[in-house]
Order: sequence, then C-alpha cells, then structure tokens
Amino acid sequence: MTQHIFRDYDNAIRQLQEDLLTMATLTRQNLEQAMQSLLRSDTDLANTVVAADSDVDELERTVDQIGMEILVRFHPVATDLRLIIASMKISTNLERISDHAVGIAKRARKINQGHPLQEAQWLEPLYAQAYALLRDAMDSYTNHDPILGQSLHDKDKELDRLHKQLNRTLSDQLEAPDGRSASWLHMIFIARSLERIGDLSVNIGEETVFLESAKDIRHEYRKPAPQPNPPPQ
Amino acid sequence: MSSPSPPSIEVRDMHFNYGHACALRSLTFDIPDRQITAFIGPSGCGKSTLLRCFNRMNDEIPGARLTQGSIRIAGIDIQDRSVDVAKLRREVGMVFQKSNPFPRSIFDNVAFGLQLHGVSKRALLNLAVEEALISAALWDEVKDRLHESALGLSGGQQQRLCIARSLAVKPRVILMDEPCSALDPIATAKVEDLIRTLRQQFTIIIVTHSMHQAARVSDQTAFFYLGELIEFSNTIKLFSNPANKLTEDYLRGTFG
Repeated sequence: MTQHIFRDYDNAIRQLQEDLLTMATLTRQNLEQAMQSLLRSDTDLANTVVAADSDVDELERTVDQIGMEILVRFHPVATDLRLIIASMKISTNLERISDHAVGIAKRARKINQGHPLQEAQWLEPLYAQAYALLRDAMDSYTNHDPILGQSLHDKDKELDRLHKQLNRTLSDQLEAPDGRSASWLHMIFIARSLERIGDLSVNIGEETVFLESAKDIRHEYRKPAPQPNPPPQ
Repeated sequence: MSSPSPPSIEVRDMHFNYGHACALRSLTFDIPDRQITAFIGPSGCGKSTLLRCFNRMNDEIPGARLTQGSIRIAGIDIQDRSVDVAKLRREVGMVFQKSNPFPRSIFDNVAFGLQLHGVSKRALLNLAVEEALISAALWDEVKDRLHESALGLSGGQQQRLCIARSLAVKPRVILMDEPCSALDPIATAKVEDLIRTLRQQFTIIIVTHSMHQAARVSDQTAFFYLGELIEFSNTIKLFSNPANKLTEDYLRGTFG
C-alpha cells in the first residue's frame, strides 16, 4: 500500500494488519488442533485449544482498539477507511471461528472420555472443506485477491452439501439403539460448527471484496438471478 | 519498572487578566514531559493566552498579568522575579501561526538563536545548524543551498525552518500556536509528522483550531471554554468518550 506522509498513520495500519494476521494464524491453529484432538483422541491437545482461545479474544479486543484509534485519530478515507472497517469485521469473524474450534475441542474431550469413536473420521471431508475455506478467506485478504474472496460462496455450497449428507447419516445413527447417542449428538454439533466456520469464512471473503473493490456482495446470492433480456423482435 | 517522568509544566490555581477582564480562571493541571499536549476550544477561550503564559510572551502586553496562582516549568516558578526571561524563552521555544523567517540565509536563520546566546565558533554553529535541520526533517531539502535566502523556501519549508530555529537552542518545551493553519494539506502532513518525531526529545504544546489535527498529533488534549479548563485527558479518551457534556457538544459540533 502507498505510504502516507504521516508515518504514525502507516505504523497504526501496519500494527492493525499484523495483529489481524496473528489472530488468523492462532484461529487456524486452534481449528487444526481441535480436530486433531478429536481424530487422535488427544485430550491434552483439546485442553490446549480451550486455553489458547483467550489469546484470540485478546487480539480481537486489540484489533478493535487499534481500529477505533485509527478512526478517531486519522479519519481514514477511501481504501484506508475500507481497510479499517473490513479488518475490524474480519476480526469478529475470526473470533467466532475460534469459539467454534473451542466448542469442537470441548466435545472432543467428552467423546475421548469413552471408547475411541472411529466414526469421527466421517467429519474429515467437512473439516478439509471448512479449513480450505478459512485458508482461502485469509489468503484473499493478505494477497488483495477479491476474485478468491468472491469464489468462497461456491466452496461453501459444497460444504453445506457435505454437512447435510453427514447430518442425515448421523440422524440415522441417533435413531439406532446402540447406546452411543451422546457421541452421535456431539458429532452432529461438531459438524454444525464446521459448517458455521464455512459461513464465517465466506463473510471474511465478502469483506475482502468490499475492501479491494468497494462492492458489497453480502446476501447477493439470495437475490433471484437476473433474467436475461428478451431478444429483440 | 522506571517511574514516570515528573511533569514538565505544573499550573496551579492560575488566574490571568487583561486589565480587569479575566481571560483564564482557576486553572490547575500538569503538562506531561516529552509528550504532545493539544489545547482546543472555540475562539476566545483563552488557549493562545495560556500558551503565551508559558514563555511570558504576555509580559509585552500592557495590563496583561497573572493575578493568582503559579506556573512551574521543570520545578521553577516562571513568574519569580529572579527568572531571566531571555533564558526562559531559550528553554521554552515558540513556533507561530505564520512562519516568520528572517530575511537572511537559511543558515543564519537557524544559527541566529545560538549567536544571540553567545555561540560564535563556526564549527560549533555548523554542527548545531545541521543537527537542527536534520531534526526538523529539512536538511535533505536545503543542504545544498544553506546560504540562499530563507524567503525562497515554500510555506511548509519555512515553517519547518522556524521549527529548526527553535530546536537549535535545545529548548525543553516547544510551544506551537496553530503551526499549520497557513499550510496546504501536504505541508501540514509533513509538519505533523515532524511534530510526532520531536516528541521523543521535547515537551510540545500545540494550540489548534483543527480538532482533527489535535486528534492526529497529540497524546493529551485539553478543552477550554470561556477561560476555563473543561476537560483534560488522553486524546483517544477525550475524542471517543469525553467525560464532560460541553466537550462532547463541542466535538460533535452541536455547541450552543
């Protein structure tokens, strides 16, 4: 980004971006470790995720504080204004993703108390898709790539499809009298968290599109597709 | 943990009159050392009067006087009879609204204060002028024309030259009375960037009509109204969550 004459302004923006990227790294790490704690039945790792969430919470507060200070001090306009607004909203989405990771870790802890649950592997395709969405969302932000940001909605549709499919399977298992209903319920909630992580990553992609091109694409996929003009008579 | 520096300026129960008219009343506050403090408030609120009290510039105005209270700079009561006003003004430099270079060379402008205080050795002057111009972020722009007239510089450069002139005598405090009001936005940004850099070495007090400028450059902001100090706090705090309704109304532009 072009430098400002007033260097404090650049320093504040740089600090905001650095903290946001640190937050994204910790969030991705929390998600990875939460899922590994489930797939490898590693309760210590689950405890690590629960403890690490406070760092993400603290960074969310810091990003908001720096963002507000930049708004108060420098009255940003144009790209700078969009950068501050987008970064603060992305930080909120990252914090929620980290909360979902903590939710997954807590459920992994409970599942790990019983017999190893081989069926936890059924979550892997969802996890891979959710993780890829989060990775792409942050790549779109760091690489100033609105096309990648805009493409996340289609990837999220695939995640939704996988989620529905797995939900049907898990609901069927829940009805079976195998005495493992608690584990199936935990898996249903973990699948739900992974699906939500996809939605939150789409939000991040949308913020990147707003940042880079000033276009608000939120909720656009819900609008009816524009009808082609009738051919001239 | 190191203890915080003692305040650079201590104002205690200060009242100031122009003749019988009270311009400042019951002021008590501290200006922190090596920070930037902004004075804001509507015209006539007394902020420039107060600024001029700190280097006794008001002494030149007939009938203007401190009627009560004290101002201490680095622990010394500046109203005390024993205070040498010329020495005080060396300690407390001032930059004015309109740049006021002398019609002499760039070098002479910066060297002037030092020569006034008895420095005559050329080598010392050369060193001090270079140091002051570097500190004022002007050296690169003028190093090849130090002996050309200062009046040939742009408005922004002239203002930075005046800042260099006040830096050359190594003051403790620099007072700035609307230093950017005659400058375009780019020259303003350069001067503001310079002011932020200088805070590492000097205590700076800036009077400004621009609330945006106060927000950008200062660490602390004091809001004055009708000669009274209404609120004095951390700049981010004052601009995001003022404690006093009068301050809030002024900042939001809903005054009166």
